[in-house]
Amino acid sequence: MQNKLASLILGLVFGALIALVYGWLVRPVEYIDTSLDSLSIDYRTDYVLMVSESYASDQDLTLAQVRLAALGPQALDEYVTQAIDYALDNDFSRADLERLNALAIVLRALPQPAGIGPP
Amino acid sequence: MSRRLFLILGFGIGLAVGLYYAWLISPVEYVETAPYSLRADFRGDYLALIASAYASGGDLLRARTRLALFPDLDTATELAALAQQRLAAGLADTEASALSQLASALSQGPIRTPVPTVSVSPTPSNTPRPSPTRRPTAIPGAAFLLTSREQICDPLLSEPLIQVVVLNAAQGSVPGQEVIVVWDTGQDHFFTGLKPELGLGYGDFAMTEGVTYTLQLADSLQPVTHLAAHECEGQGDEPYLGSWLIQFEQSP
Repeated sequence: MQNKLASLILGLVFGALIALVYGWLVRPVEYIDTSLDSLSIDYRTDYVLMVSESYASDQDLTLAQVRLAALGPQALDEYVTQAIDYALDNDFSRADLERLNALAIVLRALPQPAGIGPP
Repeated sequence: MSRRLFLILGFGIGLAVGLYYAWLISPVEYVETAPYSLRADFRGDYLALIASAYASGGDLLRARTRLALFPDLDTATELAALAQQRLAAGLADTEASALSQLASALSQGPIRTPVPTVSVSPTPSNTPRPSPTRRPTAIPGAAFLLTSREQICDPLLSEPLIQVVVLNAAQGSVPGQEVIVVWDTGQDHFFTGLKPELGLGYGDFAMTEGVTYTLQLADSLQPVTHLAAHECEGQGDEPYLGSWLIQFEQSP
């Protein structure tokens, strides 16, 4: 009986190992319809930079806000701040930094949405 | 039961449990994705943003680098189609115009696809860049004047069209020009450059039989009136509906 139990456990462990290798490495779950909030930091920074480039030209703050809101639930100026940090770390051009900064300033100047406070 | 049977049974159970865990409980998470994996609507938004950024700065090299993030993109065609979709959906005209400008710019000259890199960020750095290729544009402020309007009979056209060609003072095609069409019960608009294969300054609008249209460039005060599908004589006995060819040129 003990031998049979050992065989069962051995098979179970071996099968689970094979399955994990297959499920995680050979054929992992594929995400082909991702959203903007899953973009890696470099692409997200470029996205924010494009928003700031467009805003610098058309001065359409509502459109810029709508575009930034697609990145996720954070406050919009946080995305721009993160982009500026990344841009500083990666030696972006001065013109790019100025555009990002201009957008950040405008967004920070907006009244913050009212949070849920104590009664 | 033999020992081997228990081994196989354990293996089967282990396989099932492992796959359940790997696919459902703790699947591989993609949190650092690239633009090419975006869902179709986000992909459209991303492409429109690339076009808007291009329209604001005119940096075609940067736009090309960004578009190279989508390896399966049939660039000019997809951008033109996206512009038309956005117009049809009533979204921002500026985006449609920017998309048509970028589609037109990309359809000019040799396509220089940037060499894709793995570790380098797609974002620009301080590295000096070649100056961008400028697309032909209209001279700001100069008026567009109607230079010709003619009825055309082309049996190859499947429907009667108002075909518009916009040229700048140097006879160069001008993409991204908004054309407004008005008739008794409604109005619509389109942009030049959405069909780059027919010319960068070309745009067209399908007419309905029996309706009379007035057309005007958004940047012109000169309306073109009384445009309606007219009858053309076919080679057989069947007449068909003809089109209009309207040309605008910018004053020097």
